[in-house]
Amino acid sequence: MIMTALNSILKGRRSQPHLLIEVLQDAQDLYGYIPEEAMNAVSRELGVPLMKVYRVACFYKAFSLKPRGKYVFTVCTGTACHVRGANLLLDQVKGQLNIEPGETTEDGLVTIENVNCVGACALGPVVIQDGAYCHHMTPGKLRKAIDKSRGKKKKERAHA
Amino acid sequence: MQQYVTLKIDNARVKAVKGASVLDAAMASGLCIPHLCYVPVLKASGACRLCIVEVVDNGRTKITASCTLNAEDGMVIYSNTERIRKLRKNIAELLVAQAPNSRAVQDIAVRCGVKEVRYPFRNDNCIQCGRCVSYCTEYSKANSLGFVGRGKNRHVEYPLGFRRDLCKKCGFCTEYCPMSVTPCGGPMKAGEGRLCGNCDSQIAAMEHFSGICVRCELGKGFKCVRQTYV
Ligand code: FES
Ligand code: FES
Repeated sequence: MIMTALNSILKGRRSQPHLLIEVLQDAQDLYGYIPEEAMNAVSRELGVPLMKVYRVACFYKAFSLKPRGKYVFTVCTGTACHVRGANLLLDQVKGQLNIEPGETTEDGLVTIENVNCVGACALGPVVIQDGAYCHHMTPGKLRKAIDKSRGKKKKERAHA
Repeated sequence: MQQYVTLKIDNARVKAVKGASVLDAAMASGLCIPHLCYVPVLKASGACRLCIVEVVDNGRTKITASCTLNAEDGMVIYSNTERIRKLRKNIAELLVAQAPNSRAVQDIAVRCGVKEVRYPFRNDNCIQCGRCVSYCTEYSKANSLGFVGRGKNRHVEYPLGFRRDLCKKCGFCTEYCPMSVTPCGGPMKAGEGRLCGNCDSQIAAMEHFSGICVRCELGKGFKCVRQTYV
């Protein structure tokens, strides 16, 4: 299954080592993470040593080697966002979901990640929710967004 | 036909093959600039910064690593000025603090005039000189080692963390690793890093003849470039 999907990504890009990042990005979009088989296949088809594929995949925060949750919250902890309280946001998710940045909740629903600057400093603190930029985040807003994606209603939580 | 350039290193006129690095030129003419990550057969990576020299450019001096600096006609290089010695000593100290468990690193540090280390010992057993990685990729073409991670998490690793099957078992990664020779007193435990004091003779020699080879015994498992020239 992995190979058929990968074939469409690799189409027209075989044996062109300079397209490595592009291909990995597409693979990341397709699976939500970069599986080992995909890395092996990319290395074989593009003619890039496996070491290099692995190194690139580890280097960029945009690639993840572990399966990610259904909803991905990326908290910006860059300088501007940090000054504006990004650490409060991280504390919030840590307390709420009981996971550290980079981890996924046990039910596989929510992943929290942190990155250093997403290039929207004026809107900080920024949280990216499944690709959508949410500006001027507060712990409260973030809590609601997370609850919403986990399908919890306010009342339910009150009773829980 | 081979083309040559002439440059001045520490006031001595030195002839070098065009395209050679300043470090190469210095070594070939018998002047030892301390260096660690450089291996003659491999591309210089400029990782350890021990080989820094002063280059005079338009009357101003600039400090840069000599192993990655191309020798050019009319260059003026100083490899042993007060400023350089101070900087180099500091770099050597940092290297020892990072990985005190290596005789090679300690010896080089002693040669650079380090008498005590002002930084806390980290006992990481790797200074990330990249010798193993460049040998693996450039020479044996196995591509089974590489740097992974960023910043303080950067480290040498197999692809995917375990793919040892790519390794051709040439063994040169350990051969070239400066960590493969432990200090005379045996391996150190965490927290008791020390500078090996058994090489005092080297300090003495260093003070009198700054440029000469002090036969620092780095050859054992470490391959001092010097050995390929004598
Ligand atoms: S610091 Fe957060 S967007 Fe720049
Ligand atoms: S030998 Fe030049 S930087 Fe290491």
